[in-house]
Amino acid sequence: MKKILIALTAAAATLPLSAGDIHGKLACKGAKDCAEAVVYVAAIPGKTFPAPAAHAKMNQLNMTFVPHVLPVQVGTTVDFLNSDAVLHNVFTPDACAGKFNLGTWPKGQSKSYTFTKECNATLLCKVHPEMEAFVVAVPTPYFAAVHGDGSYQIADVPDGAYTVKVWHPKMKAKEKPAKVAGPTELDFELSR
Amino acid sequence: MEKNHRRILAALPLAMVIFLVLGGPRRAGAVPVFSRKYQTSCQTCHAIFPKLNPFGEAFRLNGYRMPLETPEQVKQPPVSLGSEAYERIWPEMVYPSDLPSYVPLAINVKMADIYASSHDDSGKQIVHNDFQFPQEANLFSAGTLGKHFSFFGEVTFEETPDGGNDVGIEHARLDVDSAFGPEHLFNFKIGKFAPDLYDGFQEMWLMTDNGVDTLFAFSPIGVHGGTGLSEEGPGVSLPDRMRAIEMYGVAAHRLFYTVGYGSPIGPGGPNDTFGSSSRKDFYARVDYKFGGMGLDGDTTGVTLPPENWRETSVRVGALGYYGDGSQADPFDVTDEEGNAFKMRDNHYGRIGAYASLYVGDLNLFGVALHGTDKLQLSDPDTLAEIDTTTRTYDAWFAQADYVIVPPFQVSLRYENLRVADPVTPTIKTLNANASFLIRANIKAMIEYNRDLRDSENYTLATVLRFAY
Repeated sequence: MKKILIALTAAAATLPLSAGDIHGKLACKGAKDCAEAVVYVAAIPGKTFPAPAAHAKMNQLNMTFVPHVLPVQVGTTVDFLNSDAVLHNVFTPDACAGKFNLGTWPKGQSKSYTFTKECNATLLCKVHPEMEAFVVAVPTPYFAAVHGDGSYQIADVPDGAYTVKVWHPKMKAKEKPAKVAGPTELDFELSR
Repeated sequence: MEKNHRRILAALPLAMVIFLVLGGPRRAGAVPVFSRKYQTSCQTCHAIFPKLNPFGEAFRLNGYRMPLETPEQVKQPPVSLGSEAYERIWPEMVYPSDLPSYVPLAINVKMADIYASSHDDSGKQIVHNDFQFPQEANLFSAGTLGKHFSFFGEVTFEETPDGGNDVGIEHARLDVDSAFGPEHLFNFKIGKFAPDLYDGFQEMWLMTDNGVDTLFAFSPIGVHGGTGLSEEGPGVSLPDRMRAIEMYGVAAHRLFYTVGYGSPIGPGGPNDTFGSSSRKDFYARVDYKFGGMGLDGDTTGVTLPPENWRETSVRVGALGYYGDGSQADPFDVTDEEGNAFKMRDNHYGRIGAYASLYVGDLNLFGVALHGTDKLQLSDPDTLAEIDTTTRTYDAWFAQADYVIVPPFQVSLRYENLRVADPVTPTIKTLNANASFLIRANIKAMIEYNRDLRDSENYTLATVLRFAY
């Protein structure tokens, strides 16, 4: 999380000073909460962002992926650490992440993969089929994981017109246009 | 010979009472496993256990899943046996599934005080007042295994008057739910189970203690055709449970169908086989429900009252059963003079109609069944055919269940059976029940069952059931 914040800060440093934020609330119909949703600004035509130098990290601890959902900017390298005393594996069946399979490795070691395309990648462990996680690789540095109460805030978004998208592992994706001029409120309602 | 025949007829009412008191099948059907899984009351699915309300019926037909179920409704999240994402890479990896997070077991215990009156051949009244504490205990197991599989099992323990114990597997089956095509349309079950041929009137889902014995316990086998009820055979009119493969489904929310293929009725065969013939029986049923909740739980365009046992609906159905016993082992029969013969039920067929009407607190339902048996009488030693005759019987019943208030409900049933033996009087019985839910899972009942052919033949059962 710390590295994500650093990346966000670095990205923010390159932006115009007149930056605001996008914040709001999500309601997830038929779900206990929206805690696993990711809100992000979609690709901005004519604008590219450098890949973050800092690596993101996903842990395999107590036979679960931690965190369960990891949002990253496209180009980010994710390190997969095994913190368990058993062998773990990480692979994905998703073509947008090259259907990678990192093999197995023991406790204390990690393997990495760089997400070069926009992708909602499902991560699995062949050794423990019940393990599941998601890396959500988004095209801009403007994204946020949604809190348990459904609230979110994407900080330091330059003023302008954007498309804001929401992804959730169990809900239908949604998008809305947003005109950012200072603090901007944008709420979503998701359904299955 | 005529005198002997009359003597047999005189003994029939007594035999029937003894059958009802001691031998009659009384099976339970409430499964608290689901109360735990969904953290919900028995009355979500039962009008009064084990009788299902329309939602419970939909839950059952949906493979023990709520209509449009969401994971959040399941309060005991299942143990994952594989991420859903493995669906996409099957068969490179095993297809994902899950299993209940707690051992899905439930227990149902029944105690009964049976007061029975009958009279013997000489007219002497015989009275029994029997504490059957317990009468039986049932161990249930039921649940889902991932998206498309479910299971149901029941083992019954009974104590016998001689101090022995009977243990029986009443149900053991695996279901494939919505195997392909539109949801709810193609489901399969395999194992030992109560066929959906009897949906709505099988004993397991009746609020009364007694089942409809005139449908399920009539024996059509006899030198002149069947004369009465017999749990152990030889032969029965309809098997209440079968070892079978069944396909069933719900189309357009309101059309129900089932077709099945299973072991033949009658006693088992040689070499530890469950059927004495390789041939199998077939059955089929089609129903349509007008009004009320859809059979899959659909409520689109329907306004239903908050009292979930109420609705205004009519369900009608037609059912049929056919078997070929021409290759089966013959039954042993004797005539009025005690001469032994062998008898085969070469071809047996049943056709029937089912109807159920819900109006407010009243549920009126019944079945009419016509049976045909082509009976072949043979010499016991040479098996040379002596005679082949076709016998028929007709059975019907009508039952009214009424909810006075949710904890207090009553039921009245009339049964009529014109047996196959033309000189044997028609069997007519009346069954009245008053049930009181002491708690959602504790029920007390008083049930009166009278053989209307003879005023001294009746049973009065006081029953206590509880499930946990």
